[in-house]
Amino acid sequence: MTITTLKLNLGPQHPSTHGVLRLLLELDGEKILSCEPDVGYLHRGMEKMAEKMSYIQYLPTVDRIDYLAGFFYSELLCRIIENATGIELPDKVRAIRVMLLELNRISSHLLWVGAFLMDLGAVSPFFYAFREREMILRFFEKLTGQRMMYNYFVFGGVRKDIEYLDDVNEIISVLPEKINDYEKIITENPIFLRRTEKKGVLEAGKAINYAITGVNLRASGIDYDYRNQDSLYKGFDFRTIVLEGKDAWARYKVRIMEMRESINIIKQALDYLKKAKPLEQHLIPPVNLKLPEGDYTAQIEAPRGLACCFVRSDGTDKPCRLKWRTGSYYSVNLLRELLVGEYLNDAIAVAGSLDIILPEVDK
Amino acid sequence: MNWEEFERVFNDCILEGNKIIIKSKLHEVIKFVIDNYTYNMLKEITACDIGNGKTELIYHLYSVVDEEDLFISVTVTDEAESIVDIFKSAIADENEIYDMFGIRFAGNEDLKRLYMPEDWKGFPLRKDYVQDDTRLAWNDNNDT
Amino acid sequence: MNYLYFLYIEFLEKYNISKLFGDITFYFIPFCIIAAALLVVVLVLVLAERKLLGFFTQRKGPNRVGYWGVLQTVADAFKLLCKENVTPLHADRFLFNLAPILAFVPMFAALGILPYSAEFTFVNTRTNVILYLIFAVFPVLSIFLAGWASNNKYSLLGAMRSIAQVLSYELPIAFTVLSVIVLSSSMNLTDITLAQFSKFGITGWFVFPCILGFIIMFISILAELNRCPFDLPEAESELICGYNTEYSGMRFAIFYLSEYAMMFANSMFISILFLGGYLSPFGKYVSNSPFLIYFEQAFWLFLKAGILIFIMIWIRAALPRLASFDLLKFSWSILLPLSVINLFITVLIKMGGALC
Repeated sequence: MTITTLKLNLGPQHPSTHGVLRLLLELDGEKILSCEPDVGYLHRGMEKMAEKMSYIQYLPTVDRIDYLAGFFYSELLCRIIENATGIELPDKVRAIRVMLLELNRISSHLLWVGAFLMDLGAVSPFFYAFREREMILRFFEKLTGQRMMYNYFVFGGVRKDIEYLDDVNEIISVLPEKINDYEKIITENPIFLRRTEKKGVLEAGKAINYAITGVNLRASGIDYDYRNQDSLYKGFDFRTIVLEGKDAWARYKVRIMEMRESINIIKQALDYLKKAKPLEQHLIPPVNLKLPEGDYTAQIEAPRGLACCFVRSDGTDKPCRLKWRTGSYYSVNLLRELLVGEYLNDAIAVAGSLDIILPEVDK
Repeated sequence: MNWEEFERVFNDCILEGNKIIIKSKLHEVIKFVIDNYTYNMLKEITACDIGNGKTELIYHLYSVVDEEDLFISVTVTDEAESIVDIFKSAIADENEIYDMFGIRFAGNEDLKRLYMPEDWKGFPLRKDYVQDDTRLAWNDNNDT
Repeated sequence: MNYLYFLYIEFLEKYNISKLFGDITFYFIPFCIIAAALLVVVLVLVLAERKLLGFFTQRKGPNRVGYWGVLQTVADAFKLLCKENVTPLHADRFLFNLAPILAFVPMFAALGILPYSAEFTFVNTRTNVILYLIFAVFPVLSIFLAGWASNNKYSLLGAMRSIAQVLSYELPIAFTVLSVIVLSSSMNLTDITLAQFSKFGITGWFVFPCILGFIIMFISILAELNRCPFDLPEAESELICGYNTEYSGMRFAIFYLSEYAMMFANSMFISILFLGGYLSPFGKYVSNSPFLIYFEQAFWLFLKAGILIFIMIWIRAALPRLASFDLLKFSWSILLPLSVINLFITVLIKMGGALC
């Protein structure tokens, strides 16, 4: 007897692949026998582009690598230049950057919560999450003039001094209650528990072997958060959230708890900024900026896992080679093993729980 | 890491900071490193075209236990050894490097065009690549 | 119905038109009126759903077309009418066109046998309940045909899910309906309504002796309507749009219409079985004239159905979707045993009532 399987082409245009991911699934009934991720529908050639641009020309484009967490990638490029030229950031710049990064992390996680619940078929949390995200985006718009592609960090500092601290104050006073509300309607919901508990179990060893980082790794019980080694975060007091659940629910819970932790960090930064003097910064002159010959790497804990930037300079004003490492790319690679054996509707939940965003995958 | 022990086994390699430059036997070196030290994660593989048709591959290893980075650099021409049997994450990296640099990895059979269209000619991140595909708006031959 | 019938015949006799003509047209005219009214009801329901979902999620909902957005669904329906009907190249053309019609017809038939007020049932048979159950399952056939004929994998998966779902939720419905039949000793919907009459209004309703049955029935009807949290056959985030992925224009509109009309009909069905149908919740009617009472009775029925529909929309705003495996397990291992227990309880109540 031969078993006929159904080959299903999930994507690239599908409501729940969060962009243009294409999964070639082989189904037996609704059970997935094999999965082959196919990416590249959003490839913009960020790495090739860098080789033809000077550093300051390239800086505004890096926000587009992950349009939900643009600050992280411009921070990464700035960090490369700062490390290479050996400039020390003033404390106030550090506080501003940390505050904006954490606000951006919260907005990214909020969008994930909404989109994940949308994948599971619940409509409302999407709008609730967007309501809170809107507050953060409004603040970003006031400060930087942009809602998503901020272009606010520059080499050695920030484009202008921080303003509108009252808005941040309001955000962090409102958010904890709202997160409690999410927890009330989502976390203990029996249907939600049935859909996420013991689904998409990712063992710690497998996660490390697949180079999964960030929230997904911490939900598998590995205590690895690059923020602990990051000099930018020196002096800020925060916990690393690690859960042993290994399943989709743990990944959800880690994100929720991490949002609370981010609020904590923002509070510390805000307290510092309220008392700080007006900003005095010595920016690196960006025009004709030439890096000394050599290799430079920088890493940062982005919302979707560890992001690395590698720059090889040949002494000219353009990088000889620039490479990005993004967290989502490895999560997509993991799908080929994680989805096998799941049912189709669980597969959507599991893929959603990894927080994949396609511009980051395709670069 | 214990550099002396490493040097005893692989004697033609150089250590620069936390970067080991080796000439060959990549698979063996990586196997040795993960067996004898705590390095367990391959964060990324970076490829760099260094001219003369040669490409440098930099393997970025990480130890979750000791929180240490280690770079292993090897220079290859057109073919390299695959390490997908050690690190599953290398599937993604090797495929990307094949797509962008045209390096074949012995032992990894399902290399395909990843970002570029399947019928694309040439490998974009090589230094000798000419952008002359008719589908490009910014075609190098199309300056008029 | 008899009262209206005599009025109509008398009216015709005045103008010397034969009784035969009256017999034929009597059922036809109100049916056309209901069909037209149904369109309005569906438009209102769709608008209500979108508005309510908007309010539940702190939005305004549609508010551009007409005052407070009331004409939004009219505009949408008009747009659907104007759209091109696309048939996929390799689809089974005959079945593909047949499926929306099959969704449409049983819905009208189901509406034809419901008692809207004491005298107002188009077709009053002695086994209305059984007829209704048959018509209520009928749409699944059209869903299956649509999924099969579209030649689309997502449609096929949606159809598969739909059949599994309706088959497994049909049994709890049948058992709970059986308990109502036991309580009222009748299979006629009008008699079931009248059996719930009491002087104090609300106390006679069957929802009190079999509250369990009411809950089971409500959940199962949700599943049969493919409503959230049982909306797997058209799970947007998994199967694009399920069985009607390939449908466009008028055919899609018909599916949409029959879905909401079925929701309305099923809510009325539950109200008739458990909430006293067209009976007033106060025991006696507000209006006095016999003619107005018909309208008041219809109003009570629609109000009860409306409350149930509100709860359905509320559930949709609140809950995520069940997993397909859990869905079947829930029906076979929880709802079905409970509905049997419910049947036993009602039989005991009935026996106790007979003994007293």
